[in-house]
Amino acid sequence: MEKATVHIALFAALIAALGLIPKLMLTSGVPITAQSMGIMMAGTILGAKRGAAAVALFIALTLAGLPLLSGGRGGLGVLAGPSVGFVVGFPIAAWATGWIMERLHALPISIAAGIAATVGGIIILYIPGVAGMALMLDKSISQAALLITPFLPGDVIKAVITALLTQAIFAARPASVFSRSGSSL
Amino acid sequence: MLALTYSPPTRLHALSAPIKLVGLCAITTALFIFPTGWASTILGGAALGLYAAMGIAFLRAGLRTLYGLWPFVVVLGLWHAWQDDWDNGILIIVRLITAVAFANLVTMTTPLQDMIACLVRLLHPFRRLGLNPNAVSLAIAMMIRFIPVFLARADQLKLAYRARSHRSGRWTILFPLALGMLDDADTVAEALRARGGITPKD
Amino acid sequence: MKNPHISINQVSLSVGGRSILCDIDAQLSDRRIGIVGRNGSGKSTLARCLCGLIKPTSGKVILDGIDIYADRKQAIRKIGILFQNPDHQIIYPTVGEEIDFGLRQIGHTAAQARDATRQILTRFDTLNWLDRQTASLSQGQKQLLCLMSILAMEPDVIVLDEPFSGLDIPTRRILGDVFQSLPQTVIHITHDPEAIETYDQVLWLGAGRIQQIGSPSQVLPKFMDAMMIASGLT
Repeated sequence: MEKATVHIALFAALIAALGLIPKLMLTSGVPITAQSMGIMMAGTILGAKRGAAAVALFIALTLAGLPLLSGGRGGLGVLAGPSVGFVVGFPIAAWATGWIMERLHALPISIAAGIAATVGGIIILYIPGVAGMALMLDKSISQAALLITPFLPGDVIKAVITALLTQAIFAARPASVFSRSGSSL
Repeated sequence: MLALTYSPPTRLHALSAPIKLVGLCAITTALFIFPTGWASTILGGAALGLYAAMGIAFLRAGLRTLYGLWPFVVVLGLWHAWQDDWDNGILIIVRLITAVAFANLVTMTTPLQDMIACLVRLLHPFRRLGLNPNAVSLAIAMMIRFIPVFLARADQLKLAYRARSHRSGRWTILFPLALGMLDDADTVAEALRARGGITPKD
Repeated sequence: MKNPHISINQVSLSVGGRSILCDIDAQLSDRRIGIVGRNGSGKSTLARCLCGLIKPTSGKVILDGIDIYADRKQAIRKIGILFQNPDHQIIYPTVGEEIDFGLRQIGHTAAQARDATRQILTRFDTLNWLDRQTASLSQGQKQLLCLMSILAMEPDVIVLDEPFSGLDIPTRRILGDVFQSLPQTVIHITHDPEAIETYDQVLWLGAGRIQQIGSPSQVLPKFMDAMMIASGLT
């Protein structure tokens, strides 16, 4: 139990630290952040339950008033704004990413992580994300979806980096990739 | 890394956190159930009034927290101008800003510890499902403890990268950063077990 | 061949109102230079300024005419640094990739980088490390890897920032011999005077300022006296 709690807490701290790495601007003018990769990696490395717990802990402390979201955002205001769907969706996306990762244990690590990160970190994340935006901006789903399309290329890049990182970490520390190792936390 | 609570304390700081949170829920619900110009304007005015009542410096700090909404205000403004739907446009913008303003007001006037206490209390029902509140408190403390550690390590790795490259390397350092975190987790878990582990929930 | 010349021009550095380095001014052109000081004297910060990793609040560091902070492309060819903790320095999962990295950054092609990597590994009799996981190396081995990664880039100057921390005695001696045999200028940051007794020049840093510069026989005894006083042993 100690191992699980510590891994959840430290992964949450890592996601917070990633929020302070400056955003990278793609040529399309859209920024991509390292933090969203941390969310996907929580799933690919810790698995569904622990990954979701780590992200939920991170979100909880952000809402409690720490400026941990990329760009130094935090507090309850993020729940009242247009990105509320994403904030709520992060733990769900981590859970989905982990769940898929655990199911795909027969595939090579990078492929499994890539699929998990794409389906969990992009497709599943955008469902609450777009819905929340539609609600807050009082627009239809398709209109809100239009708003987020510029971010998709960046997200695909992030999924690829997540896949490669997960593979490199597995090569260096196979026992620490709990979605695969089957060792109990 | 400081919390977003405003200092020095205002009168609203003294109000208990659960009351403020319930009030926030009520106001946000009202904002969305009554999507009329009247409701939004009155509540918006109330928000502005509350901020101003806490002092000019507080009001200025509050306005700064709303700055991040400007892209959405611009997009909404352009959209509704194009659709010739100004009334709705103004309503939505005012509602958005008002909701965020009230939420930020609670954050600015509630110390971190109080919010965490509320959070732990909200998790009470999950005890029956196996959640150990001692583990939760410990996890919160550990997370806060390690954020500066990982930030410092990220800085150090950036310097190490800069020592051999003219580029920025912000993505390459993710690997050693993640690996260091996993190694730290193993070490800390051992140290925790050596000191008796997490107290069981009963 | 002339020794590289480092000109530290009125360098000061403060962070958040706190002064860490104050008016550091020195001309360094010897082959073996030591920098001593207590913990907290600003030695590591000075090391980072010397390599152009952080920007002084005022003043400049010039190496053979190059502004080390501003001109990074030239700087990485001329000066390298070995940090205290190799875990904070190693970036890549395998040894080969780690050494390749710096070589690609200074302009080698993939093939040239591969060759140079093999060469440096062979020089230290560690060619079988080429595909090893960096995470599987011991502390001493990691430190050697960090050294090889820098030497492969063939800089004119190497800065060693307390490189023996956490290493056992045999490893220290082996690495110490390696440092002594290096053809480039070595700037060795340490709090242990024994390590730099045989050097050409010693700079004593105290509370962010230069206390003294001179030969080891001039500076080290005074430094040791000050350390004794500071520990209440006089």
